[in-house]
Amino acid sequence: MVPSYDVVVVGGGPNGMGIAAYLAKCGLSVCVCEDRLELGGGVENAEPLPGFRIDPHATYFYGAAGPAVEQLELHKFGFRMHYYQDLMGAVSSDGQAVSLSMVEPERSARYLERYSKRDADTWRLYSQLPRAQMVHLLRSIYWTPPPPVGMRINREDLPWVKILREYLPLFDLSWLDLSLFELMDLLVENETLKVGMGMASWYNGPHPDWAGTGIFGLTCNLLNGISTGSPAGGMHTLAHALARCCMRHGVRFLTNCRVEEIIVEDGCAKGVRLADDAPVKCRTIRADRAVISGVHVKETFQKLVPARDLPLDFRQRIADLCLKGSSLFTLALITTENPRWSGDAAEFYAETYPTCIFTPCDSREILRSQTREVDSLHTHPTRPESMLVPICQHDMADPTRCPRGYHVLSPIYLQVPPPEDHVDGPEAVNHAREEIVASILATIRKASPNLTDDKIVARFVNTPYDSSLRNMGFVGGGWYGIRQSEDEWHHRRPLPELARYRTPVDGLYLCNHTSYPGGLALFAVPYNLMHILIEDLKLAPGPWWYPSPDYIAEEV
Amino acid sequence: MRPFRVKMENPLVPDPEPEVRSDVVVIGGGPNGLITAAYLARAGLSVVLLERRQELGGGLATEEILYPGVFANTHAVYHMMVDYMPALADFDLSRHALTFIKPNLQTAIHFKDRSSLILCNSFQDTADQIAKFSGPDAKTFTHKIRLYKSFVDEILAPATYYPPVPPVEFAVNLGRTPLGRELLAISEMSPREVVEQTFVHDKVRALMLYISCMWGLDPEVTGLGFMVPLLIYRNMNKCLCVGGSHKMASSLGKEILQNGGQILEVSEVTKILTEGGRAVGAETWDGRRFLAGTVISSLPPKQTFLDLLGPDACPAELAGAARNWKWDKWSFFTLHLALKKLPRYRAQDPDVSRAFMNVLGVEGMADVVAMADAALEGELPLPAGHATVESCYDGTLTRVHGLSTAFFQIMAPYDVQGGWEKRKPEVEERLLAAWREYSDDLGDDNIAMISSESPLDIERRNPAMARGSIKHGDYSALQMGFFRPNDLCSGSRTPVEGLYLCGASLYPGGLILGGPGYIAANAVARDLDLSPWWKVPEGIKKYVETYL
Repeated sequence: MVPSYDVVVVGGGPNGMGIAAYLAKCGLSVCVCEDRLELGGGVENAEPLPGFRIDPHATYFYGAAGPAVEQLELHKFGFRMHYYQDLMGAVSSDGQAVSLSMVEPERSARYLERYSKRDADTWRLYSQLPRAQMVHLLRSIYWTPPPPVGMRINREDLPWVKILREYLPLFDLSWLDLSLFELMDLLVENETLKVGMGMASWYNGPHPDWAGTGIFGLTCNLLNGISTGSPAGGMHTLAHALARCCMRHGVRFLTNCRVEEIIVEDGCAKGVRLADDAPVKCRTIRADRAVISGVHVKETFQKLVPARDLPLDFRQRIADLCLKGSSLFTLALITTENPRWSGDAAEFYAETYPTCIFTPCDSREILRSQTREVDSLHTHPTRPESMLVPICQHDMADPTRCPRGYHVLSPIYLQVPPPEDHVDGPEAVNHAREEIVASILATIRKASPNLTDDKIVARFVNTPYDSSLRNMGFVGGGWYGIRQSEDEWHHRRPLPELARYRTPVDGLYLCNHTSYPGGLALFAVPYNLMHILIEDLKLAPGPWWYPSPDYIAEEV
Repeated sequence: MRPFRVKMENPLVPDPEPEVRSDVVVIGGGPNGLITAAYLARAGLSVVLLERRQELGGGLATEEILYPGVFANTHAVYHMMVDYMPALADFDLSRHALTFIKPNLQTAIHFKDRSSLILCNSFQDTADQIAKFSGPDAKTFTHKIRLYKSFVDEILAPATYYPPVPPVEFAVNLGRTPLGRELLAISEMSPREVVEQTFVHDKVRALMLYISCMWGLDPEVTGLGFMVPLLIYRNMNKCLCVGGSHKMASSLGKEILQNGGQILEVSEVTKILTEGGRAVGAETWDGRRFLAGTVISSLPPKQTFLDLLGPDACPAELAGAARNWKWDKWSFFTLHLALKKLPRYRAQDPDVSRAFMNVLGVEGMADVVAMADAALEGELPLPAGHATVESCYDGTLTRVHGLSTAFFQIMAPYDVQGGWEKRKPEVEERLLAAWREYSDDLGDDNIAMISSESPLDIERRNPAMARGSIKHGDYSALQMGFFRPNDLCSGSRTPVEGLYLCGASLYPGGLILGGPGYIAANAVARDLDLSPWWKVPEGIKKYVETYL
C-alpha cells in the first residue's frame, strides 16, 4: 500500500522541519524526506577529529526575536541558547577594536570614544531603543510575508517603513535608497566600525555597496545584536530540538531517503518519488493536501518537478537566478593557542572575547576588491589580493566544543565566486583549496602572528563545491541560496510570482532559504509560510498561533 | 576575566528549567541506554535520557570523519545479534527507514599465495570454501556448525537477554541437557584450545581464531570457550545498517520521543544525586538537575560509582569492586579511506572483493596469537587486521558521487611509545602499506581522502570507552557472566536503591548485543510493578524453563 500523508516535506533542514512542526501541531499528518543521514541541513556540526566539533555552515541562530521559537516551544525540547557579551568584533591591523554590545552598550560606547566621540554618541542613541521596539521592527521585516503578488503598495506604506519612521532616531525616507556604506558615512566616522558593519552586512545578506539595501544591512546588525546567539553545544542541537518538537507532534522522518521527483498530476502536486536506494518498502509517498519543498528553488524546479509540468518562460527565469555572493569557503582550525591580538584589541578582548572577529577591518577597499571578484561573472577561484575574514570561535564560551588545552577556530569564512561561475569548471575551487587556505592563514597572522603552523593541530576545509555535493540544498555552495540584492529581495524573492511561497504547481509550496527572508537560520520562512497555508489549507491552529500584525491577506 | 557567555534577563529564548522531574533518568545515549529508555517510555514512564555528546548512539556512530562529505562508521559496523535482539522485534524500526543487509559473503581471509577462504552466511557455501583447504575440516564444520547454532539458539542467545545466575548454579543447570553439557565442556577451554581441537588445517584455524578473538577476547584466556561457537556462528550472520550504524540509534531515539520521552544532548552528567543512600537524580556539567525515582547509568562501573556517585554515596564494597574494574586488554586503530573506485582484491577468487569483512595479514593461527600478545605487551602488533568496504552495500554513506568508503582496522594498545598524536601518521602509513599487499586499487591515485582513529581518539570521542575500551571493559572470566561488572550488580540492580546499570559493562557485555539495555528495562519494570507491554520471546521462555 502506498503510504499517504496530508503533507510531504522535501528536505529536513531547519525550514523543512520548521514547517513540518507547525503543520503537525495543527493536527496534520506530515512526513519529512531527507536525503542525508542526519536531519538539520545547514544546521549541522561535524566531529572529523574526535572530541573537536566544527561548524561546516551556520554557526549562529538568528531567530530568537521571531515568533517561531515561542510558538513551537523549542526550549521545551531542549533548545538552549548561549548569549554573549560581545557577539562580533571588528579588528584593524593596527589593533583598533570595535564591538557593539547590546548586552552592555555603555562599555562598547566607552571603547568607541577612543576613536570618535560622535560615534559613541550615535551608538548610545540607537542602543537605547527599547527592546520591544527593536523586536517589532525586526518582526515587521523578517517575520512577515511579502505583500500579495501583484499588489501595488507605496513604500512609505510598507509596515516596516512606518515602524522605522516611528522608532528610529534621525530616520529619513531617503535612507531607503542608500547603500550601507552611504548610510554609515552619514551616521558615523570610524572606518573600522564602518568596515565591520559592512562585513556583517555582507555575510548576513546585502553587500554594503548595494543601493537601496543599506537599511537591511543595518537591520542585519540589529539581528546580530538582540536576536542572535549560538545553541549550547553547537548549531546542530537546534536541529535536534526541532526534530524532537516534530516527533512530539507526530511527524514521520525518513532519513537517507532522497526525493527524486515531486509527483505532479493535472497541474497539482500529489506526492514524491524516492530514490531506488531509499531503505523503505514503498518508494512512492502520497501527499493529500500539499507538498512543501525545503530545498533550493533551482533544485525544486530544475530537478524535482518534471519539466513538462512547468511553463517554459518560468523555467528560464529559474535558470537565470543569480547564485553570486554567498558561496562559502569554510575553514576550521584546531589549535593549541588562542589568537593573540595587539593594540586596543588585546586589552578589549582580554575582558570579554567576541565569538566572531572580523579582520583586518582597515578600509572598505579591502572588502571591495574581494567582492568585485566574487561578484564578477565567470572567473577563477583564486584569492583576492587582500581579504577580510570572520573568525568564529565558540570554545571560550562553550567548553563542550573541544578537550581542555585546545581551541577550535570554527568557522573561518571566506566568500568566493560560485563554483558554477568558475571558468575551469566547478571543481576549480577544490584545486585552489591549499592556496586559498594559505592566504586566509596569512590574513589571520597579520593580526594574530602567534598562530604559526606548530600551533595548528589540524585544519578542515569545506569548499562551496563540497557543500553543493554533500547537501543538495546548497546549490552553488551558497548559504543564503540566492542573492539578497534588491532584485531578489522581499516581494521579488526568489521571483515575484513565488514571493508568497506558492508556485505554478498547485499544492506545491516553497520553504527554504531561497524564499523570503532568506537564510541565517532565522526560522522565518516557516512562520511566514504558515500565513499562506492557513488560507490555502483552511487550517485552524490553536491559541498558540498568532500571525504577523503586518500581514496583508489575499484579497478574495 | 568576565564570562564570555552572559545570562540575559528575560531572554528571547527562555533558559532551560534548572530542575526537571521525571520517573526515569538514563545516563548515556548508547545502544543500551536507548533500548532501556525506549522500553520504559513506551511503558508509560516519563523518561529523560542525558547524552554527553552532541549525537546519540555511543558505539552506534556514523560520522563525517572523511571530511567533507564522506561518512564512516567509527565503531560498530557488524551487528551480530540482529536476529535475536528483542528490541528489534518489539519496536517496528522500519517505520524510521531502518533496514539491515545481511550479505552471504561474510568474512574472507586472504593469504599471501592469493588463496582465500570465505565464511558465508550459508552453511554449505562455507563448507565448500573450507573444503578447498581441508576435507576433514569441511566435514567437521558441517557437523559442528549445527551444534553451534543450537548452542546459540537454545542457550547463548536467550541468555544474552536474561539476567545471569552464579556460575556454579549455572553449570549445574547446564548439566541438565546433553547440549548444555557439551557447552560446559567447551567453556573450560581457551579460545585457542577450542579452535585447535576442532579444526586441523592451520589456515582454517587462523580464520576461526581471528573471528573469535578480534573484538578483544584473549586467545589464551580460559573459562570463556563458549564464546568461540557463539562468535563463529554469529560471524556468519553479521548485518550492516543501511545509512550507517547510527541509524539504529536515531531510530530508537525516535521511539523514545514518540512515546513522550525527552532526549537531551550536550548534557554530560557530572553527579548522580542521592538522598539518604538512594539515587534521586543526576546533575549535568552546566548545573541542571534532573530528579527521578529511577536512575539508570550506561557508563562503566568506575565512572558510575567512583566519579558520579562519589565516595560519600558509594558503599565501600561497591567502590572496591569498581576500582578493580579492568578496561579492555587492547583497543583498535582504524584507517579510513575515501576511494574513487571500489577496490578489488588480488586474491584469485573474485568473490572476496564483495565480502563484508576481509581479514588480511594473517597466515596461520600463530599470527593471531602473536597479534594478541603484541597488543597485550603494549606493542604495535603486526599490521594485520580486517577491512571492510562499506560502500559495497550502502551507497548512501558517501554523498560525493562515485566515492566509496572503506576502512582497515588492527588491534592496538592504548599506550604506545611517543603517544598516539605523534605516532598516527606513521601507523597510517604502515596500515596502508599492509593493505596494499592485498589490493592493487589502493594507490595514491585512487585515494581521495584519508583519516584514522587511534585508541586515544576512541576515548576522546567517547570517554565511557576509557583507554579505547570498545566493550567498556575486558572479557575475562572475572568480568563476564555473573561477574559483569561485579557480583553486586550483574542483574542491573545495584546496592544503591534506585540506581541501575544498563551499559556494555553490564552482563552480557558490549558489541551491540542490546542485552544490558533489555535486562535493565525488565529489572526496572519489575521493580516499579509495571505490566510490560512487550512479550518475552519464546526462545527465552524455553531457555528459562530448561536451564534456570
